[in-house]
Amino acid sequence: TTKLPPSMSIDEARVLWQQHEESTRQLSIELCEQLRLILEPTLATKMQGDFRTGKRLNMKRIIPYIASQFKKDKIWMRRVKPSKRTYQVMIAIDDSKSMSESKSTKLALETLALVTKSLSLLEVGQIAVMKFGDQPELLHPFDKPFSSEVGAEMFSHFSFEQSGTNVLSLTDASMRLFNYASTNLQVRNKTDQRQLEIIISDGICEDHETIRRILRRAEEEKVMIVFVILDNVNDMKKSSVLDINKVHYITKDDGTMELNIQPYIDEFAFEYYLVVRNIEELPQLLSSALRQWFQQMSNT
Amino acid sequence: PTPMETKTNPTGQVQVRFTTRNPELTVGDTPILIPTSLKRYGLSQVVNHLLKSDKPTPFDFLIQGNLLRTSLDDYITQNGLSTESTLDLEYIESTLPPQYLAAF
Ligand SMILES: [Mg+2]
Repeated sequence: TTKLPPSMSIDEARVLWQQHEESTRQLSIELCEQLRLILEPTLATKMQGDFRTGKRLNMKRIIPYIASQFKKDKIWMRRVKPSKRTYQVMIAIDDSKSMSESKSTKLALETLALVTKSLSLLEVGQIAVMKFGDQPELLHPFDKPFSSEVGAEMFSHFSFEQSGTNVLSLTDASMRLFNYASTNLQVRNKTDQRQLEIIISDGICEDHETIRRILRRAEEEKVMIVFVILDNVNDMKKSSVLDINKVHYITKDDGTMELNIQPYIDEFAFEYYLVVRNIEELPQLLSSALRQWFQQMSNT
Repeated sequence: PTPMETKTNPTGQVQVRFTTRNPELTVGDTPILIPTSLKRYGLSQVVNHLLKSDKPTPFDFLIQGNLLRTSLDDYITQNGLSTESTLDLEYIESTLPPQYLAAF
């Protein structure tokens, strides 16, 4: 496919990145601290393993130890510090034209700067960034380190002019990338690996039924997907996504079609979504969504 | 852009804002998502549904000042518009004879 030229020069992008990094500095520290509280329990050390010496006996190894006439002598557990790189977080930004029509582009870039900055401050693991519109495109892969220069380079790829909002192909591509990342970019302690995607968009998209199928697969594979809906209602002409209705046609038993109008948000496929109106709200909303998910994860 | 990017989706949706100059027939200015496959008749049904009228009124629709004679999808494609933008649709009580209305 033909690639659109960057919408701004790298110099312009650098200036813009610096501005956003600066304006969201306090918020990114706030988000970082909240995420630390949520994410850290899985970073804690625990007793593990099969060692010849150690602090505590591994009871499961005692019978084989005796049965093997004391040859299988790795019967001790030690306090093992798992790798700190245990999260793979993908951030996907909506580059479609509705983003500029609804004047959400500033909020989108602020959110991108804020989230990537917090995660890199937290040293949470690997970060990937995608943009999507007509089709998804990877801007930054998991296996490269994140820096301010990477941020600026990413900014230069957004046009907010794409003629479609294909969230279905985004979720599909994301799952394939996560799959690839968990087999090829494995963290040392596989059991502590978590995969998380944060989608940043105005929330207007199609194919919710099909998306729901992919989301079920994500749930099975323990990939969490949070959808951040940017709802810029500061502009007088813009309506909140929560007020928008949608026309449906329902086929009745006798074969006739019935017109039905329902709130759009009722069919929204993503279970974990947050509606953000300004950047100050983001740390609180995002961390409470993540907290909910982690609680649910630990209950199952 | 590639052909795939410019192709409009036949099962697609678009946000429209229905407006009218007749103050007795307003439906509010919150956009509503509708299928782009709709033509005059389907749009008329939607407006009547919003008006909760017992006796449906046939409407005609103006888009950018032009009388809509095709599906929204065709109009969008032919006029280089985008389903990413909110369309303003003005509706007027149809003055066309009933047998002609069924034609489009
Ligand atoms: Mg869009």
